Amino acid sequence: MRLIKAIVRPNKVEDVRDALGKLNISGMTVTEVRGHGRQKGHAAIYRGKEYSVNLLPKMQIEVVVPDPVVDEVIQAIIGAARTGEIGDGRVFVLPVEHGYNIRTGEKDIV
Amino acid sequence: MPARKNAPLERTPRLSDQLAAARGEYSAEIRAGQGGHLAVAKYARRIDDLIRDVIHAAQGPPVAPFAVSALGGYGRRTLCLHSDIDLLVVFDGAIGPPEERVVKAVLHPLWDLGFTVGHQVMELTDIAHLDDDNPEFLLALLDARLLAGEPSIFKTIRRQLPRPGRERARWLLDQLRALVERRHAEYNHTLYQLEPDVKDAPGALRDVAAIHWISVLIGEGRRIGAGQFDERRLHDAENFLLRIRSVLHLERGRNVNVLSHPLQEIVAEVLGFPGTEPHQRVERFMGEYFRHARTVSRVLEGSIEASRGAPPSTPPLPLWDNLEMAADGIRFVDRTRAAGDPGSWLLAFQTALERGCRVSDQALARIHRSLDRVTEADFVATAAERRIVGGLLRPRPGLYARLSQMHDCGLLGRVFPEFERVHCRVIRDFYHKYTVDEHTLLTLRNLELLLEPAGVTRTRFTGLLQELHAPELLSLALLLHDVGKWKDEEHAAESVRMAEPVLTRLELPAEARATVRFLIEHHLEMSRVAFRRDSEDPEIVRRFASLVGTEERLKMLCLMTLVDVEAVGPNTLTPWKEELLWRLYVDTYNHLTHAYADELIVRDQPELAVLLAGRPNDISEPELLEFVGGLPQRYLSMFDYRHIRLARHIQPDHVHSVLEQKNEVWELTVVALDKPFLFSNISGVLSYFGMDILRGQAMTTPAGLVLDVFQFTDREGFLQHNRDAASEMSRVLEDVVGGSADLTTLLRGKQRSLVYRRPRQTAPVVHFDSEHSRKYTVLELIADDVPGLLYRVSRAISQHGCDVDLVLISTEGHRAIDVFHVTRGKVKLSAAEQRDLKQGLEAVLEEGYETH
Repeated sequence: MRLIKAIVRPNKVEDVRDALGKLNISGMTVTEVRGHGRQKGHAAIYRGKEYSVNLLPKMQIEVVVPDPVVDEVIQAIIGAARTGEIGDGRVFVLPVEHGYNIRTGEKDIV
Repeated sequence: MPARKNAPLERTPRLSDQLAAARGEYSAEIRAGQGGHLAVAKYARRIDDLIRDVIHAAQGPPVAPFAVSALGGYGRRTLCLHSDIDLLVVFDGAIGPPEERVVKAVLHPLWDLGFTVGHQVMELTDIAHLDDDNPEFLLALLDARLLAGEPSIFKTIRRQLPRPGRERARWLLDQLRALVERRHAEYNHTLYQLEPDVKDAPGALRDVAAIHWISVLIGEGRRIGAGQFDERRLHDAENFLLRIRSVLHLERGRNVNVLSHPLQEIVAEVLGFPGTEPHQRVERFMGEYFRHARTVSRVLEGSIEASRGAPPSTPPLPLWDNLEMAADGIRFVDRTRAAGDPGSWLLAFQTALERGCRVSDQALARIHRSLDRVTEADFVATAAERRIVGGLLRPRPGLYARLSQMHDCGLLGRVFPEFERVHCRVIRDFYHKYTVDEHTLLTLRNLELLLEPAGVTRTRFTGLLQELHAPELLSLALLLHDVGKWKDEEHAAESVRMAEPVLTRLELPAEARATVRFLIEHHLEMSRVAFRRDSEDPEIVRRFASLVGTEERLKMLCLMTLVDVEAVGPNTLTPWKEELLWRLYVDTYNHLTHAYADELIVRDQPELAVLLAGRPNDISEPELLEFVGGLPQRYLSMFDYRHIRLARHIQPDHVHSVLEQKNEVWELTVVALDKPFLFSNISGVLSYFGMDILRGQAMTTPAGLVLDVFQFTDREGFLQHNRDAASEMSRVLEDVVGGSADLTTLLRGKQRSLVYRRPRQTAPVVHFDSEHSRKYTVLELIADDVPGLLYRVSRAISQHGCDVDLVLISTEGHRAIDVFHVTRGKVKLSAAEQRDLKQGLEAVLEEGYETH
């Protein structure tokens, strides 16, 4: 099992969800986050005064998937979240030892 | 579970049977919908017997004399099926191993029976030194009731309780008020929760307990402070809440107090609410729930007010008409007369808002009883009454509290029957926490709270609210934005439809109506674009800017979105969303003020088709098309057919103008052929006559036709006091533009005048932008608004050889915010030219201020 953590543009969440839905992956956690990568924010000017936007609003999507579909899921996320501009985001893949269903207490088989 | 050493084996089954019998009897009452006062008190008595048996069985070797008391809700005999059992065990002597054995022998069987026991064990001497850091325990102690043991010990405990009027009682009242405040804050201070906690939410059982405690600590022997308080209604409310809580405990088999949507269906059925469909039963049931919760809230509010101590006894202060201000708020002097005078009802609320007090229960009761005599038309019969209705909604401290009072007594629904359609309306979704009417009132509360922002990030939105020219229109739009939710369909369009009669009744000007309609129709649009679209995409921003059209509407829609999202639930408006919203605002604002020159009117756009279709007979289609051709699309929002007539037969050095009064503001429309210093000369003439320019736009067609529209106030009363003022202004304008009068000479005396010199409040900003517009360098200037500023600035721009093609003028509070689209030799300014002009403008901006 792998935990796939994707940081994407806020407006791309629906697209990513649709793309994952086509792979029959419906369970996910979505969180509002702020941060920056190479994009490093930018300066906005309002009425002649500059204010910096260092931490940009992004969405974090977390999904746990079985090993055999990891690459497919990553490609689906990248395909859905890409605009080609700086600030499209990142995808991270982390190993997961176990998962448990809280309601039933059963060990998850993803 | 194995039997404990001190819990005799032979007793446990009997205790279980005892408990099962008590619960069986109580459960039968609950299923019959009768789990109220009588049932919970009966159950409490059964549990008393059970605990006494346990205590009796716990007796063994001699121990210090002791007493066991019931505390809190159990002490008040409001014990539900799975409520905690709060006990106090006090020994008159030191607590040693024998005493500890007794305590264990009491608690262990209760735990084995599955009770959640909250217990305090102490020596009698400790009672005199109870910790002040546990006010909850002290409050529960007020309800102490002897279950078993020495009555003398219990009497000693009672003697240690805070006495009314004493310092300790006042301290405990302070603590109680703070506890209530903290608990209510967790529920956003509203009882209108879609899934309320019948124990802890505002208007629920813990508030009933708070009312009781205040009564005990005040020591009046009765509940006070609620004006015409109806003891029976509070009793009924508590009974209703207990019946609900009883069902929740029975259904879930544990101490569950949240009345979730699925449980609402079950409770509504158990309590016998009528309706063929579950949602019909739930609507009726929740309506009843909110009615009772309102009673509790109102009584608590009055009790809390009374607990702060009686204000100095002063006679009521007579106000105008039939109103007076007393300690409990605005009252009617003659109640009989007030009953037939609906205008005085609104006046009572207006006065309460102005004086920062509440409307008294006396007045509320009179209004409530007289509502059947009036219709919505009775509140807007005269222009003065219409002004009162519109003005009531102006954002200011106390607005939410007064509107809530209006709503609770039925007046708000009578003035706006459209709003009454969503009274206690429940919409089930994952996001909304409150009924539709309460959500709406909370949007207005959030707007009110912006006047005193909680944090730095919120201050920027406060600035927008302060800049609005007609904030009451935003309030009106908020009041009506969700009225369409009475239907289970797409609500924005229905809300617009329902708003129409309100706009008609209030006889609002066409422009104001259009703004309210726009805000209601598009109230979801800005959150959609900000949170779900790529707002970094210039095309998205361009389209959104095109939708809102003007900065005023943008500010209103931005504020509407902010307060609407925040009113959905306590954590819906995250800093993340706030930032996205602000960024979209800034990008759109910059587009509206900097880039609009690139978006020119094109022949096939729908707005133009509307203008062509509605043109008067004297204006031909080619004439109209020629006039607007090459002007920015933004012009269409201010288009007037008279502009075309003004442009007819215009000659060099001629000025065609129209001056008219619009409410408290004057508007001057000027058409002329472009020439150097034209804009500065026109604004200079207005300064010469003492006019304060508030807003304005200036545009130049490719053919060199200039159209300027200025809105200003007549600071010195020149237009008001002089019959020929308009023609005099027109004459001077002609002379100055034609070159037969020298404006510099005319203004010289004025600029030296002390009237024209004011202390500086903010540092001026001169900012150039050459990116947003394809053709122009955009010069943005923010400075303290002083008379003649626009004239001096625009003159300096012309003196630097620049052409001013487009200007947006706005005044926001004490600041002037002017945006000029300039070129030099038909091209954008170079960096060096920008530097020179900036220096020149900064020098100009130094003039007109006091130097110390």
